[in-house]
Amino acid sequence: MIQLRQVSKLFAPQWAVRGLDLEIARGEIFGLLGHNGAGKSTAIGMMLGQVWPTAGDILVGGHDVTLHRRRALEKVGAIFESPAFYDFLSGWRNLEIFSHYSARTTPARMREVIDWVGLAGREHGRVKTYSHGMRARLALAQALLPKPELLILDEPSDGLDPEGIHEMRQTIRRLHRELGLTILLSSHLLSEVEQLCTRIAVMKQGRKVFEGSLAQARLAQDGVRLRTADFAAAADLLTRAGLITGTLDGGVIRPGPGIGTDEIVRRLVAAGMPVFEIAPVEQTLEGFYLALMNGSASGNVNPSP
Amino acid sequence: MWLIQLRNELWKLFGKKRTYLGFLMIVLAQNIFILTFRFSHASRNAIQVLEGNGYPAAAFMSGLTIATILIFPMVYLLLPLYTSLVGGDLVAKEAEDGTLRMILCRPISRVQLLVIKWLAGAIFALLLVLFLGVSGFLFASAWFGWGGLFVFVPGEIFSVYDPWSGLRFYVAAHGLMVIKAVTVMGLAFMLSCFNVKPAAATILALSIIFVSFIMMNIPYFKDLQVWFVTYHLNAWQWLFLQPVPYWKIASSMSLLAGFNFTFLLVGVTVFHSRDIKS
Repeated sequence: MIQLRQVSKLFAPQWAVRGLDLEIARGEIFGLLGHNGAGKSTAIGMMLGQVWPTAGDILVGGHDVTLHRRRALEKVGAIFESPAFYDFLSGWRNLEIFSHYSARTTPARMREVIDWVGLAGREHGRVKTYSHGMRARLALAQALLPKPELLILDEPSDGLDPEGIHEMRQTIRRLHRELGLTILLSSHLLSEVEQLCTRIAVMKQGRKVFEGSLAQARLAQDGVRLRTADFAAAADLLTRAGLITGTLDGGVIRPGPGIGTDEIVRRLVAAGMPVFEIAPVEQTLEGFYLALMNGSASGNVNPSP
Repeated sequence: MWLIQLRNELWKLFGKKRTYLGFLMIVLAQNIFILTFRFSHASRNAIQVLEGNGYPAAAFMSGLTIATILIFPMVYLLLPLYTSLVGGDLVAKEAEDGTLRMILCRPISRVQLLVIKWLAGAIFALLLVLFLGVSGFLFASAWFGWGGLFVFVPGEIFSVYDPWSGLRFYVAAHGLMVIKAVTVMGLAFMLSCFNVKPAAATILALSIIFVSFIMMNIPYFKDLQVWFVTYHLNAWQWLFLQPVPYWKIASSMSLLAGFNFTFLLVGVTVFHSRDIKS
């Protein structure tokens, strides 16, 4: 559905995005993670033809966004953090205005979408009287009006209260389940991404440092939990033997490249050290993300699915 | 779709209270001027000029004459102010508010979007001039009645018309004023396409117009007047010269058309190359 090939964007003198390759398959919920300024919004801007790439190709729905914007964005809906509307007009009028930039929209279709997002009864009120949650629903309605196949959500839960965040999460699930949309979700809320997404990409300083499934992310740190009678002595032995590259908190060792747990166990047992437990560490997305940001996790870049 | 999008653009434009500011200020200014003329000695000078040239003042101190006198301050000050205010808002305000980003995730080309916005701005300019002419004529006629038209600009224009000829020239002058209003709006619109605040676009456009006007009137630049945009923006008043220099007016209008096209082209080019970010 979305393909980015070696996409870069220079906001002189800094690269906002550099050499980004990304592939999002039809029907998946894909999470885009990264700090503020990591390049997520710039990448999304380029996918929507709002930001011109300095280099690379961006295909949305098989069409090049920079060359064939109209065709590429025909079936795309988007929601940004703090969605902006014409506050002096009604919700209905706003929907008419935004949807007509895509195609002619019938009142019946507008009614259907308003009902779907739960804004019925308030659509003729001025947007300036709407609560934050209602604005979020209106944003969703405007994104759904052109019957999109791809929905791009850039920090959709930003500024919402916990109830609103929960509601947004439920809505994203509904969109995926009932409408079969492909969803690209950029978010700071790791728990949200963890609960919703099937695959993720993590960006750091404009570069992609990880792309893969959540399961891969959880295992990507290459940490192995080791329980022995004396962890310090075991770690010292393994380090001297060149089998591990270091240790982490909580009795975790980091095996060297190509070193399997069988070899580690063999060496410890041969040295007379009992091994009670040895297993790969499955960590939380938060742990993995923080490790990536601190540079201690390996960016196992998994190319296309 | 163009027509629907233009209608939507007009909804946006006329949904804002500040769009009506120009109409309101024009009515206020017109009525203050008219009442000043009616209840003070402000018209004495015009009466003296008329009678000194052998014309009966009573026949020419009409609603049409007063409305035409009113045009000058309106067209030199208020019209550029409010057309540039709207022109400067059209793109820059949407960029500032974030609605431009919402629009540009839609499959509409930037060129089409800008042309529609420019058309909405041009319609506003047309309506403002139409309002200026109709309200000025109606208010002035209510106090001064129907009669001939007398136009006097010291050292430049001295013309008298019978009522119907006067009305014809009055209407035609407003037709040319529309071109002026659209050009000023177009200048502000072009500046609005740059990455600037709406107020900056408006102020910059007004500065260009006023600086051009001041320079044009400095004696040193007298011979170079034709090179100033304001010289051509004021072509509407040549309609009151006798005989009317139609060729000169047509030449200025064609230049203004060129200015308008250039402003739009520059605006489109700049806007097209811009990155739209939050």
